[in-house]
Amino acid sequence: MRKPASTFVVHVILILYTILALFPIILVIMNSFKARKAIFGSPLALPTPSTFSLIGYDKVFGDNSIVSYYINSITVTGSTIFFTLLLGAMAAWALTEYKFRWNALLTLFLAIGIMVPIRLGSVAIIQLIVQMNLINTLTALILVYTAQNLPLSIFILSEFIAQIPKDLREAARCDGLSEYNIFFFIVLPLIRPAMATVAVFTMIPVWNDLWFPLLLAPTGGKQTITLGIQQFLGQYITDWNAVLAALSTAIIPVLILYIIFSRQLIRGLTSGAVK
Amino acid sequence: MSEVKIDKLCKSYGPVEVLRDIDLTVEDGSFVVLVGPSGCGKSTLLRSIAGLEPVSSGSMTIGGKTVNDLPPAQREIAMVFQSYALYPHMDVYSNMAFGLKFARTPKAEIDARVNEAARILQLEPLLKRRPRELSGGQRQRVAIGRAIVRKPQVFLFDEPLSNLDAALRINTRVEIAKLHKMLKATIVYVTHDQVEAMTLADKIVVMNKGRIEQSGEPLDLYYKPANIFVAGFIGSPAMNFLGATVKKNGAVTLVDGQELKLKTPTAAKAGQNITIGFRPEHTTLHGNKDLKFKGTVDIIERLGEMGFAHLRLSSGQTIIAEVRGDPGMDIGAATNIGLAEEHLHLFDGNGNRF
Amino acid sequence: MSDQATGGGSGIIGMGRGSYLWLLVFFLAPAVLIYSIFSIYPLFATIFNSLYLRQPDGSYLFNGLGNFHTLLTDTTWSAPFWNAFRNNCYFFLIHMAVQNPIGLALAAMLSLPRLRLRAAYRTLIFMPTMLSVVIIGFSWQLILSPLWGISKMFLQTVGLGFLFAPWLGQENTALITISLISVWQFVGIPMILIYTALLAIPEELIDAATVDGLNQFQAFLWVKLPLILPTIGLVSILTFVNNFNAFDLIYAMKGALAGPNFSADIMGTLFYRTFFGNQLQLGDLSMGSTIATMMFVIILIGVMAYLFLIQRRMQRYSF
Repeated sequence: MRKPASTFVVHVILILYTILALFPIILVIMNSFKARKAIFGSPLALPTPSTFSLIGYDKVFGDNSIVSYYINSITVTGSTIFFTLLLGAMAAWALTEYKFRWNALLTLFLAIGIMVPIRLGSVAIIQLIVQMNLINTLTALILVYTAQNLPLSIFILSEFIAQIPKDLREAARCDGLSEYNIFFFIVLPLIRPAMATVAVFTMIPVWNDLWFPLLLAPTGGKQTITLGIQQFLGQYITDWNAVLAALSTAIIPVLILYIIFSRQLIRGLTSGAVK
Repeated sequence: MSEVKIDKLCKSYGPVEVLRDIDLTVEDGSFVVLVGPSGCGKSTLLRSIAGLEPVSSGSMTIGGKTVNDLPPAQREIAMVFQSYALYPHMDVYSNMAFGLKFARTPKAEIDARVNEAARILQLEPLLKRRPRELSGGQRQRVAIGRAIVRKPQVFLFDEPLSNLDAALRINTRVEIAKLHKMLKATIVYVTHDQVEAMTLADKIVVMNKGRIEQSGEPLDLYYKPANIFVAGFIGSPAMNFLGATVKKNGAVTLVDGQELKLKTPTAAKAGQNITIGFRPEHTTLHGNKDLKFKGTVDIIERLGEMGFAHLRLSSGQTIIAEVRGDPGMDIGAATNIGLAEEHLHLFDGNGNRF
Repeated sequence: MSDQATGGGSGIIGMGRGSYLWLLVFFLAPAVLIYSIFSIYPLFATIFNSLYLRQPDGSYLFNGLGNFHTLLTDTTWSAPFWNAFRNNCYFFLIHMAVQNPIGLALAAMLSLPRLRLRAAYRTLIFMPTMLSVVIIGFSWQLILSPLWGISKMFLQTVGLGFLFAPWLGQENTALITISLISVWQFVGIPMILIYTALLAIPEELIDAATVDGLNQFQAFLWVKLPLILPTIGLVSILTFVNNFNAFDLIYAMKGALAGPNFSADIMGTLFYRTFFGNQLQLGDLSMGSTIATMMFVIILIGVMAYLFLIQRRMQRYSF
């Protein structure tokens, strides 16, 4: 029999921690809509009609680049997810389904990537990108991020593919489908849940990454939103309105996406790491 | 005295009534089996007795003590779970000693009790093993051992045999029966298998949709089922049921027009629609008995010395008759089935026995 | 059946060896290529680079382990290196001591049966993990800023106003403050991982413990906790790898110099600074690669130690 008192205590603790977790975010967003005086005068107050002000946002969006930064981030993240899923699924399929001599070795080779911190190879990556004439391009980022996320994607998708009943694949073969057809028309549709998981799993670190945009695409309008905000903040550091508005501009879309996809996201984290 | 008394127990999950007006007495030292189809509430009732589920109204006493508000540990019960629920990270000895450690029982006492239980259940060579190194049957014995060492007033078993294969199930059933006699324990046992219920119980409690349909000694339920549900649940293969109408002259007419003349008067009124029931094992072939059924043979299932014949009546209904030896029946042959009147059950329009 | 007919032993009847090979190449080559070129090759190239020392004339001379010797013993290099390494260790210890126990406690609470609003709590508490470190870092900078005064206000309401100081700007508190901010952001990850592991424990086991006389807290300590040790181990090693790889938060809050006075310098920022140069020094390919290789070695040692010493002893229980 659970005592109601202890449940109450648990809820109190959880609510307190939730407030701790959300408070800074709410504070920033709230104050981004206030005039400078109100930010300092009554920081905890909600914006009222008298204190409401969009002056910070004017500066953020006035600079037009913000929109292009968003587009850059969307392009890089979207392409990375696409390639990670497609190439990852293909490799996962071959490793799971087909027997060949180097199968185990290849699997191990790819598995190493999960633990290896790709950033440590940055020196050589930069050299490579420069040699390929891809500095300051989104392509460079896409290639690097795909390479970074392939191992885990292959790992997760392999587990899922292994669960497809063998009968299904054999029936398809009997029906006369070629191996390529089997992959594209039978396997891919069946692993959609796992792919959704991997997509969500990959999305966050790529979107939020600061390191590679800083190294590979720091100028020329090819910044991602994360880098862009970082640079903006550095530039307008004393302008509190602009700064708060910039932060909120970066926060709000992510928040909305998160609330929509939170269930898939958590499922993604759990399936990937429980192994 | 470790009698369990349950009085007008009710339990609801919100608007859904899961247990309704349960009145039950488990006498000291008796083996009571709660049986019924899935969802009938038998496990819920067991867990309520254990203290793992709260109840909405009613009272429960164990050994004279009211236990409604007591946590499981203070109810002096011990439970054997369907999946055994052994602690995977402890060896067999520790699994059995675990609860006693927390009750601050002195170490010598713990040792004595665990070794005694191990002796009874032949677990002595396994004491240092982990659960994953044991077979299903061995795990089950450890689960029982864990219950024994608590020296409870009542043992609660939640479908303990359902995870075992058929042969092991029969052996273990016998073991449990022997254990009951040896320990003189009060046992409440849940199962969906009516064979287990019939063979193990001193008292069977048949449950359906949260209510007790009938409780009593196994043979009472077998010979005098209180309603169609109990009649159809107990006994395998199930009882044959046929619709019929009562005639003024004390006869009963079946749907296909056959008439059965009854010698004993019944409470049934003339013109009433009733259901008659009889068990396959009470039928005889080519009957020279009081009552006769005419039908054609559809299928014969032979099991060796015994078999079951499925007969189709002219109304299209099928009845099952038990056959012994080689009766030389042919498919499609017209046959008579005989039944002694004492083996005929009559149920009214509500399904209750007359 | 001939080897040819079964596709070179693949078991696919009717596919010749040649087409089987093409099949494999089609499916495997893209992923393996991209991975090898952009992930594995650079790592080895970096290690390779670390064995060479850049000469004044721009060429590279093989130096064996000389760079490492310089890094670890030559004061110009070793002082910042050991400083960064020591800071990394503090960073890691704070995460182990604060982030993981809090994550464990939250997971334990969230996994209580019949807890209402469980999904809401989980979603909300995990939110900071979703945001980029740039946002987190800067937001906290504002909140902790003496100019805005919010944190001072809060401390004053609980009577601890005297504790307030510009922690981020002070040498002896900068690292701890940044560490705690990082903990605040990433608590969600151990929380979710441990929560999932706790969910896998069958409820019947806890029922058995209840019947055995344990209260909720004791059941957690003696039954649940031992059964999730593998997950706790995983969380620890992930924390280790992530902490010793860290860069973003410190860079976002303190820039490449990781001040004040390098008090927040960790190996990631040291690497960045060394490789790209800054107002204090020119970029140095050789030493940059050396630092990167050192980081790799340290992480590798940590992971190996974990795998061989700890992981082996742990029992994974399946239910």
